[in-house]
Amino acid sequence: MQLDSRPRRPNRLARREAITFYLCISPWILGFLIFTLGPVAASFGLSFTRWDLLSPPVFTGLRNYTHMRDDKLFWQSLSVTVRYTLMYVPTELVGGLLLALLMNQAGVRGIRAVRTIYYLPTVISGVAFVVVWMWIFNPQAGLINATLARVGIEGPRWLADPNTALTALWMMSLWGLGRTAIIYLAGLKAIPPELYEAAEMDGAGSWPSFVYVTLPMLTPTIFFNLVLSIIATFQTFTSAFVATNGGPLDSTLFFVLYLYRKAFQEFQMGYAAALAWVLFLVILVLTLLVVRSGQWWVYYEGEKR
Amino acid sequence: MARPTLRRRVPLRRWLLTGLVWGVAILFLIPFLWMISSSLKPNYQIFAVPPQWIPNPPRWENYGEALTTLPFGRYMINTAVIAIVTIIGHLLSCTIIAYAFARLRAPGRDFLFLVVLATMMLPYPVTMVPLYVLFKQLGWINTILPLTAPAYVGSAFYIFLLRQFFLTIPRDFEDAAVIDGANIVQILWLVILPLALPALATVAIFTFQASWNDFLAPLIYLQKPDMYTVTLGLQFFRSTFTTNWAYLMAASLVTALPVIVVFFVAQRFFIEGITLSGVKG
Amino acid sequence: MTKRLSMLLLFGLLTVLLISCTAQPGGLVQQVVVTATPTVRPEGAKTVLRVGTGDSGEGLTPHLKIIEQFEAANPDIQVQLEPVGSGDYYARILTQIAAGDPPDLLQIGDDAVPMFVDKGAFVALDEYMASAQYPLDASIYLPGVQDPGQWNDKQYLLPKDFSPLAVYYNKKLFDAAGLPYPQDGWTWQEFLDTAQKLTKTDAGGKTVQWGVQLPAAWTTGFEYWVAAAGGSLISEDGKQFAGFMDSPAVQEAVQFYADLYNKHKVAPPPADMNAFGGGNSEFDNGAAAMRIFGRWPQAGMKDNPNIDLGVVGMPVGKQRANVLFWGGFGLSELSKDKEAAWRFLRFYSGAEGAEVWKDWALPTVSAVADSSGLSTDPIEGVWLNELNYLAPRAYVYTPFWGQTADPALRRVLESVILDPNADTAALLTTATQDAQTALDDLLAQQ
Repeated sequence: MQLDSRPRRPNRLARREAITFYLCISPWILGFLIFTLGPVAASFGLSFTRWDLLSPPVFTGLRNYTHMRDDKLFWQSLSVTVRYTLMYVPTELVGGLLLALLMNQAGVRGIRAVRTIYYLPTVISGVAFVVVWMWIFNPQAGLINATLARVGIEGPRWLADPNTALTALWMMSLWGLGRTAIIYLAGLKAIPPELYEAAEMDGAGSWPSFVYVTLPMLTPTIFFNLVLSIIATFQTFTSAFVATNGGPLDSTLFFVLYLYRKAFQEFQMGYAAALAWVLFLVILVLTLLVVRSGQWWVYYEGEKR
Repeated sequence: MARPTLRRRVPLRRWLLTGLVWGVAILFLIPFLWMISSSLKPNYQIFAVPPQWIPNPPRWENYGEALTTLPFGRYMINTAVIAIVTIIGHLLSCTIIAYAFARLRAPGRDFLFLVVLATMMLPYPVTMVPLYVLFKQLGWINTILPLTAPAYVGSAFYIFLLRQFFLTIPRDFEDAAVIDGANIVQILWLVILPLALPALATVAIFTFQASWNDFLAPLIYLQKPDMYTVTLGLQFFRSTFTTNWAYLMAASLVTALPVIVVFFVAQRFFIEGITLSGVKG
Repeated sequence: MTKRLSMLLLFGLLTVLLISCTAQPGGLVQQVVVTATPTVRPEGAKTVLRVGTGDSGEGLTPHLKIIEQFEAANPDIQVQLEPVGSGDYYARILTQIAAGDPPDLLQIGDDAVPMFVDKGAFVALDEYMASAQYPLDASIYLPGVQDPGQWNDKQYLLPKDFSPLAVYYNKKLFDAAGLPYPQDGWTWQEFLDTAQKLTKTDAGGKTVQWGVQLPAAWTTGFEYWVAAAGGSLISEDGKQFAGFMDSPAVQEAVQFYADLYNKHKVAPPPADMNAFGGGNSEFDNGAAAMRIFGRWPQAGMKDNPNIDLGVVGMPVGKQRANVLFWGGFGLSELSKDKEAAWRFLRFYSGAEGAEVWKDWALPTVSAVADSSGLSTDPIEGVWLNELNYLAPRAYVYTPFWGQTADPALRRVLESVILDPNADTAALLTTATQDAQTALDDLLAQQ
């Protein structure tokens, strides 16, 4: 008896399924047309203009895009952002998973409080949190260097040193892993216990069952976190804006920070729009690569079709 | 319970694990503890060298003063309203849309899904001005609509999250329901929803926290001070020239409390909640 | 009205769609809260003026007080203050202006004046000031205080508050070292000597007390050093940096400043390079004897038990100089009720407002400064006296200062502070070239 009625069925059913699909996503289509398409098209059009926000935009053709080639800060901000993304994304994926595994230890005393604590940094409003870290990194009075001084080590100048500023921001972002961990946690909870029981009956210890049961079943979650991490990390803004304002010596000049500066501090919104679209392309290409690669390593229990 | 429990193993393992879990927790707590410490100091003591953990004497008035400089009670209510309306929007719209992307087949589906993802890739500063113009034309400035209405037509992040989740659910239940003659609506409501409760609770919690901490949108769309949200209130303590650290810490802590409490309590629903198992069948 | 109606209809449609997808009658209830913003004021109602300000926290109190007084005297006008603190104020008002919806009165900082005025965001106030019914006489202001609000010989903005630079000093540390307090009119050399005498290191070579806390790579503050060295950063026609930014005078200023950090080591290294002040706290902790900065943190210093505060004028280089930092209010070109807005503006910036401001900042009106005894106050009098030595800020020569020379200069300062072996001359040459290229590019596009 054919339980699965989906493949090889008559066109009428296929058409009904398609109609249902479009009906269900119609709110999204509506929202896209109203809230997204207009502003996005406008920003694309603006990228071909010079606009100071105070007077009407002036058409300048491809000038904004060709200017990027000679713009030292464009390449600098791209380099900073790419380097930071390469540093951060792997740590987010791995660190988040480790944190989730710790959060998943139902037997540990006070685990509920622990989970809340891991999630705490995400909850504290962005600005206040970064400000606390600015103090922690303070070369004279901050927690890290004061503690190092106790054991006689002179700590680096962290945010005030172009060689360590980016690393300092990276360290700060590690405290925000709670959010990723929770998503992993949901994924972990979704793994049917029978699989583990079966593995145990076959004599598998905790490491093999992690590698052969947990990880494969987690691939949809890992995929989600990877895509989202790429998209979000390329657009890092707040931490740099509050903590370093791009300095010292532009060592933390993130791309979106540079964009923001061009738009709202240097009265060059047209150029900022062009920058945004370049970033969009970069993120899009990378995401497509990841999505494409998904067919080889992501396993969906529900049989994605 | 997704891992083999360690209860049958040697208790030493459990103690080590507890130690590790709590060790990391203390590490995570450090910035938070510093915030509490700073919130109780007069400003000039915060950057003292060497750093003092215990304020001497503790200035409890900081809390009263910080929270009354501006009407934070009102800001919290404003923010809560926005958060709740947004949560409802997300739960309603994103669930259906995500399910459609996960289970239904239609021409253009995968392309549309990429478009959904693509909407997250354009940095906000450049669409901010055209969006503002749009909302101004609609007459929505100084209302909560620009912050909440978009939630009712889906949000890329949550659509993606839920779609991944739905794809991990085995088709057996739906297939059984299809055989029993259920239509898509009934499948969603009776079969998927109970199984998806943890994911939906995650969506709710994340939305709550995101709304609570949202800064740029309220900054642009809410101009009347009595409509301000918590984040707008907090940035008052930073001016171009000086920052009132103690007040900022005190106010940040107090305004973060609702989210912390909600998370702590709601854990039951989405972490320890109904597990996804086909056993009960 | 039709727009709102059609939105409601759309939402109704959405609701219907969603309901049809779930077939649960009564299971979905959406409450959409719509609060209308009135765009048309009915006759006889109060005029509502919107005022945008970048002040925050306690700094809002004087604003609110003035508003209260004004509304009591002018019952037909209601003033709505729209404050946004810290760095996001400009993002918001620029967005509003771009959408054609800015507040009636806008506060901006000095270096934003050329750009905003040049592009027509503000209305020239000269006519209003000369009007018979609501006049404002510019001579009431202290010297130099209304200049930043002028452009092309017209007055566009009126002053709100201002501050020059001065040297704070901690009497406790001077007393402990048995040194006399700094005297007005002291020279760069005397300043350096004083700083060196007050810098102490312990047995291990670590500095436990610093002579002076400097504001790191703060570019606008640095203009004092350039002016005092007798130099200038740009030509008067605003088109050329070569010969100015890389001149010997500027080089001397940069070198002297850098040496304070790296050669004489009288200044603590910056804790945090982000904009204002370098994030240092030595002076507040009583670990630095002097501090160069504006008047903004003074109130906190007076409350600080570590400090017994004194203030003295800036040291004299080749000449005596100082620079002014300033914020002011202007009338939006797009304001719908300019007359009402002007009535409030003249109250805000005039003598009545100054009476309130004097408790929070230096008043802009000389009569108020005198009557409140500030001119003779040992600390406040110093600030007011510095107004007699103001050199023009570099931004007045070109509206593109912030986009061209400022980042270049900043990079020079950061480099010389971070690297004791930096080649000042080479850095300035590069900076001049970078600034010039950027400026030429922008001028060509106009």
